[in-house]
Amino acid sequence: MNEPLLEVENLTIQFRVKMKLLQSGQSTDKWKRVLNSISISINEGETFGIVGETGSGKTTLARALVGIYKPKNCTIKIYGKKIDFRKRDDLLLLRKKIGIVFQDPVGSLNPRLTVSDIISEGLPTDKKLSNEERECKIKEAAKYVELPESKLESYPPELSGGEKQRVSLARTIIGGKKILILDEPTSSLDVSIQAQILNLLIRLKKELSVSYIFITHDLNVIKYMCDRVAVLYYGEILEQNTAFELFEHPKHPYSEDLIGANFSLSGTNLSTTEHESGEPSKEGCVYKNSCPKRFVACDEDPPILNLGKGQVKCWLYDEKYKSASTKKNTI
Amino acid sequence: MISIPLRDKLSATLLEVKKLQVNFETVDRKIEVLKDISIRIERGEVVGVVGESGSGKSTLAQAIIGVLDVPPAKISEGTIKFEGKDIFPKSDKNNNFRGKGINMIFQEPLTSLNPVYSVHDQMEEAINIGDPALKKKDKEEIIRKTLSEVMIRDVEGILNVYPHQLSGGMRQRVSIAMVLIQKPNLLILDEPTTGLDLIVQRKIIGLVLSLKQAISSSILLITHDLAVAANMCNRIYVMYAGRVVESGSMSDILNNPQHPYTTMLKNSVPEGYMDEGPLKVSAGAPPDLRDLPTGCAFHTRCPFVMDRCKKDIPILKQVKGGREVACWLYE
Repeated sequence: MNEPLLEVENLTIQFRVKMKLLQSGQSTDKWKRVLNSISISINEGETFGIVGETGSGKTTLARALVGIYKPKNCTIKIYGKKIDFRKRDDLLLLRKKIGIVFQDPVGSLNPRLTVSDIISEGLPTDKKLSNEERECKIKEAAKYVELPESKLESYPPELSGGEKQRVSLARTIIGGKKILILDEPTSSLDVSIQAQILNLLIRLKKELSVSYIFITHDLNVIKYMCDRVAVLYYGEILEQNTAFELFEHPKHPYSEDLIGANFSLSGTNLSTTEHESGEPSKEGCVYKNSCPKRFVACDEDPPILNLGKGQVKCWLYDEKYKSASTKKNTI
Repeated sequence: MISIPLRDKLSATLLEVKKLQVNFETVDRKIEVLKDISIRIERGEVVGVVGESGSGKSTLAQAIIGVLDVPPAKISEGTIKFEGKDIFPKSDKNNNFRGKGINMIFQEPLTSLNPVYSVHDQMEEAINIGDPALKKKDKEEIIRKTLSEVMIRDVEGILNVYPHQLSGGMRQRVSIAMVLIQKPNLLILDEPTTGLDLIVQRKIIGLVLSLKQAISSSILLITHDLAVAANMCNRIYVMYAGRVVESGSMSDILNNPQHPYTTMLKNSVPEGYMDEGPLKVSAGAPPDLRDLPTGCAFHTRCPFVMDRCKKDIPILKQVKGGREVACWLYE
């Protein structure tokens, strides 16, 4: 297989939470771990999905990949070249190759610029372009995302939600980026508009030969769009597999719960017995407190196990406990 | 069980809305938000109203329960009958249908719960409105019983907590519990699970359906999500630009949608994997109510558009199997 386009190893991000104690007047710092040693790799021409619920760290991961957060002690390789966030050149290279489309199209477009100005923000700054060339490129990008030329002189508040997301997308593709990170690109759109954007994304991927990192909470969309999917839960990837394997044979109990909870048009079994869900655990397996298959081993942090094409982070699939798990040795 | 013969004596139709017209009127213009809406809910039914943003589905719910902002909103025509009595235009001043008659659960529980009331006080308020004469001890008992009915495990722990301290799913449970105290005959759910995580959404919907059985009420579900409606409703009304374009039993509409808009809505939800080809949606966005196209509002996006669609507005007509469609294709 070819060398992966983007490789991330051991990515950990913690936020400092300042706490002021009213009684003593002292302030103390607490660290909250948002992502815990994430390792993913994206191959050329692939759509890699990241699915997770609120607070699982999806957006933080997206931001770290474009260098908005600059984590230490992790390896990010792009085309095999290691990126050091402290070096300006490395950061520029990263941003030249990776673009991002944010979730909220209202917040990510400057309301004081026209659409064509916004799109031109995405042009590389190291090459000087004449005005004609610039205009030509902007028109080309607008054509790719099916944005009518008449809208180029409008301002963002005049556009509909779908059009705003198209402008965002045009700004990202104009610079010839190789990887697009799509952070919930359709979550604020109506279903029929979402379908249009998904069709557009599939077409763009073929025409521009780019790779996507598709972040969403919508399982139907992930299933339709992605080649491989990682399931994120409170900062940890619990399962990584091809979309087909994940949806047809989910391995991790969390993936099972998530896929079982998804509503589909063909009918969902609402009568299945519900198990209680608890807070994510700080020790051992993160899903311990909600897991229906919890057993003795779960008090320790599970290893990441390779299973076929995928990976799963669960003691159930460890050689040691395979027999124990079949006996349903639950607490 | 004893209540069944009593219910048989009452007419089967719980709510009947006839030819409802709602306008938003300002000094210089009049926007028609709902046009010629007729819906009917039988006892024990779960009826869905499905549509995209701007279709008027929330306005319909607000008009039924009587919380429209007047002005600018104004019901200019039509009647709303609940349990055989007129609630619009109001014939009897003492007809207090809200609470035990019709009750509503809103989309965002954080805004529908009072931020300065603890869960206990919030629940007590709901009891006081229904039975102010109850003894303090009985009230306390009802509060605890109802909270445990909505699957809140730690009832004592939650009583003195304020809404902002709860998670989204917990907040929605509290607002369901408040409604449950009143045991309404008709429960209106306005996007009850939008913004909640999948597993929580599934649990809330399972909870609502089991409670519906327990208090034998009917449900009017307002949603944009056809998949959620497919798993909850007996019948649905599909709305587009302020009009009902199709109605019928849920399974009929899913298996054999007749209005081109319903077909598009169904096709917009991705069901399979990528190799199943692009989603079948047409270009364009839901129209702006201030500037509707002439004739059928959907004609600008309809793949089967005819000359007549551009001139005349189709009327909702009965077709086979108790269904109604507003489309010139079926003339």
